[in-house]
Amino acid sequence: MAGKRREKKATTYFDYNLLFITIFLLCFGLVMLYSSSSYTSASKYGDSAYYLKLQLRNIIIGLIPMIFLAKVDYRVWKKFGVLAYLGSFALCTLVMIPIPGLTRSSHGQSRWIQLGPISFQPSEIAKLAVIIFLAMLIEKTSKQLGKFSSLVKVIAIMIPLLGVIAYSNLSTAVIIFGIIVCMLFVASPKYMQFIGVGVAGVAFIVVFIVTASYRGGRVEAWLHPETAGDAGYQTLQGLYAIGSGGLFGKGLGESLQKMGHVPESQNDMIFTIICEELGLFGAVCVILLFLLMIWRMMVIANNAQDLFGALLVVGVMSHIAIQVILNIAVVTNTIPNTGVILPFISYGGTSLIFLMAEMGLVLSVSKGIRLERIE
Amino acid sequence: MTKKKRPVKKFDRKMRAKLMALFSVLVLVLCGLIGRLTYIEYTSGEKYKKKVLSLQSYDSKTIPYQRGDIMDASGTVLATSVAVYNVILDCSVMTDKEDYIEPTIRALVDCFPNLSREDLESYAEKDKDSKYIVLAKKLSYDEIQPFINLVDQVDEKGNKVNPNIKGVWFEKEYQRTYPYGTLAASVIGFTSSGNVGTSGLENYYDDTLNGVNGREYGYLNSDNDFEKTVIPAQDGNTLVCSVDANIQSIVEEKILEFNEAYRDNYREGAGSENTAVIIMEPDTGRILAMADYPVFDPNNPRDLSLYYTEDEIEAMTDEETLNILNGLWQNYCVTGTYEPGSVQKPFTVASGLETGTVNGGMTFECDGGEQFDRWVSCVNRNGHGTETVEGALMDSCNDALMQMSYMIGAENFLEYQSIFGFGQKTGIDLPGEANTSTLIYTLDNMKPIDLATNSFGQNYNCTMIQIASAFASLINGGTYYQPQVVEKITDASGNTISVNEPKVIKQTVSESTSAQLKEYLLHVVSDGTGGTAKVDGYSMGGKTGTAQKLPRGNGKYLVSFMGFAPYDDPQLLIYCIVDEPNVPDQAHSYFAQNIVREILEEVLPYMNIYPDEELTGRNEGLDVTGVNAQWTGEHTPTAEPEKSEEEPEEEE
Repeated sequence: MAGKRREKKATTYFDYNLLFITIFLLCFGLVMLYSSSSYTSASKYGDSAYYLKLQLRNIIIGLIPMIFLAKVDYRVWKKFGVLAYLGSFALCTLVMIPIPGLTRSSHGQSRWIQLGPISFQPSEIAKLAVIIFLAMLIEKTSKQLGKFSSLVKVIAIMIPLLGVIAYSNLSTAVIIFGIIVCMLFVASPKYMQFIGVGVAGVAFIVVFIVTASYRGGRVEAWLHPETAGDAGYQTLQGLYAIGSGGLFGKGLGESLQKMGHVPESQNDMIFTIICEELGLFGAVCVILLFLLMIWRMMVIANNAQDLFGALLVVGVMSHIAIQVILNIAVVTNTIPNTGVILPFISYGGTSLIFLMAEMGLVLSVSKGIRLERIE
Repeated sequence: MTKKKRPVKKFDRKMRAKLMALFSVLVLVLCGLIGRLTYIEYTSGEKYKKKVLSLQSYDSKTIPYQRGDIMDASGTVLATSVAVYNVILDCSVMTDKEDYIEPTIRALVDCFPNLSREDLESYAEKDKDSKYIVLAKKLSYDEIQPFINLVDQVDEKGNKVNPNIKGVWFEKEYQRTYPYGTLAASVIGFTSSGNVGTSGLENYYDDTLNGVNGREYGYLNSDNDFEKTVIPAQDGNTLVCSVDANIQSIVEEKILEFNEAYRDNYREGAGSENTAVIIMEPDTGRILAMADYPVFDPNNPRDLSLYYTEDEIEAMTDEETLNILNGLWQNYCVTGTYEPGSVQKPFTVASGLETGTVNGGMTFECDGGEQFDRWVSCVNRNGHGTETVEGALMDSCNDALMQMSYMIGAENFLEYQSIFGFGQKTGIDLPGEANTSTLIYTLDNMKPIDLATNSFGQNYNCTMIQIASAFASLINGGTYYQPQVVEKITDASGNTISVNEPKVIKQTVSESTSAQLKEYLLHVVSDGTGGTAKVDGYSMGGKTGTAQKLPRGNGKYLVSFMGFAPYDDPQLLIYCIVDEPNVPDQAHSYFAQNIVREILEEVLPYMNIYPDEELTGRNEGLDVTGVNAQWTGEHTPTAEPEKSEEEPEEEE
């Protein structure tokens, strides 16, 4: 009897660390979202909790796929890999065509699909679809991945989807490209090839920046935010917020820059408000929290019961890591301005729900770990 | 363990190593970003902190106060401040988004026809960072209203119709206006650069009229909520003057009429160098009217076009212009000094009666003058013969007055000069009162001839307000009141803050002396030299003056008349001077008397003073030149007064 219990105990695992980090980040995100958005929502909508309520609703909606995916054995998704790829490709193509009542533009770019009261960004779905599809694909071809030709083949399969996404939303395309590279890098036995891929990726981005007219101003704003006028305004205000925070910040809720100065302070720029209110110390704590999350996912991947699960976790991990890095790099003006949100903290609908779904997937993988395997 | 034959692919050791490598890269990148944050903090933290604080202050805005009004006794507004608006363009806001520029420029051009599209477009292009461009100045609310309506216009859903009009705001300020133009201009004065009182009451009561600016600003309260706070402006206080706008306008009208009637008559120019009138309440010292000529328009105080042609103005140097303007802005009644002439005689008589050195029963022998080191002649070269004290006043006999002055003596005479306030400021609440302390004699330097000539008002200088205030005490029973223009001060909403009660300074003469003099002066008008001033039906007293100006013998005179009515209980005192009337023969006080009569004919009924004498038809139908208005002959002032005094003093 004692042995049986021990055996049961030994076979059951669930990564509560990761769950708690996720919940903590979501709660912290709510606090910061309320702080950063209360002024603008009060002046714009007459309700200081306008964004807070919406975000709370999104989190509650997001809990459903998260719990569902955590409960269901992740291995069933292997069968849906190709479907996910084709489905997201179809959606991303659809969004490019202006159909009244179905597609919606925002900020001059068509990124939304509207179905009655629900609207969502297909590019966010594509991230999850790519992770599942690629994990499936790599698992099938892992033996040949050492060869350069098969690497190129895998990338070639991904190019159409990347192309349609990049057409309207470069930052998402970059993130997906990053996820692909990270997953291939981990799965492949080679190192050198990835330097080549990296160079190709950088070249791709540079070419895109130069050719796409609407991004040209952003490069100028990146190099000289003080003199770039409108284009540099957001960056500059964000820098003011970061710089004025000091070591320990002005205190929670005491940001001055959130009062109409930093645009999208509850969105892409929320990290600047964290810096202003909680200081360098708070910002480093947030970064360390993400690092802890990534580390937990590395542990789960290392101990996953199969390659597919491990690759799923690597995909999610790279997704979160890339978004955190890009977001902080943008607000610190390390790279040109591009709309990347800070996972779990920034205001968002589709993106938040799918991020939570991805966390459900990772937690599902963690459930497959058998304790005796942990080294 | 597995159902299928194919073994489950595992995440092998090599992959773990590569995952570790990936993780390391991510850690390195994140550390790099922490470094970047630290770098920003270290290099620009202070700078950005200041920048953030400076961004907050944009919400602070001055709210201008409204300068107090100046009203007459019955509430007629003589000076007020009206709100005007400057149109300010914050170009940095307008060019913030490309979408704003065109709608904003279109709205501006549509609503303000004076703005040119080209200018606005060049601002949008070249002055992008400029936050403060003044597009138009001092527009009334009516002029800016179309624009405000355009911005505030909403459709049926409550959405703004023109949300892209950005960066235009209105700066409120107040502009001083004088609704009655030149009326009482030298008393009221004017302001420069908005709220700086430059002359007149505007200057004397500058602090009272001015308020305190308010402020509107945003700040963070203790709960860190952004709050907008308005400290309202404190508007200035309002002056209520004893000056009556109706009396004042009658006075100014008659002065102008006189000066126009004699314009270019003998020499080129207006009817006189200066014409000035004071009307005062003898029992309070309050000024009912105070006017001088030439006048200026306080709405446009630097405009000389009333008196000079454009070419003449062009030709003037800055200094000349300034001198002319200063002359215009002067209130002659307070700032001008002159020799009063025979109006002094009642004071000399009063000094004699008060000191007991002269009494009413005395007689004097006038032989046409007195001999000092030079001959000082009387009005009548041949002499008036035997004169009583009353007769000496009625005939304005210099010889008799000179003889009286010997009896009074220099000491008594100077004592009474001082009692009557000559050589001293009256303390009237107007700026720039002339200091005459050096323009009168002292016991040390007064020679017999000076005493003699002083006795009939030559060789010392005074101001009109001095004479009028002292004269009021002669006829009101001897009480000297400080002359006052402002009756009370109220706050912006009309509540009285302070009242200037009539201020008794001293007793100058006894009641009996006052009564005695009143009787003498009554006869000066009824049967003496002051007859021209007589308003038919009213009992009046008064004294004429014909003062020779320096240098003696140049034919220039300052003629004057001091009068009061009615005799029993004088309700008003009027003093009029005409400096160098524009005629060949200036030495006649009837120029002043005519003005006084014309004024009183209208003012007495207006003040509800009823005739107290039988009508005799005296002075009937005369106009301001003394000519019978019904007479349609050649318009030259030829009418002879019944009795006139002439050149009171002549040098050998």
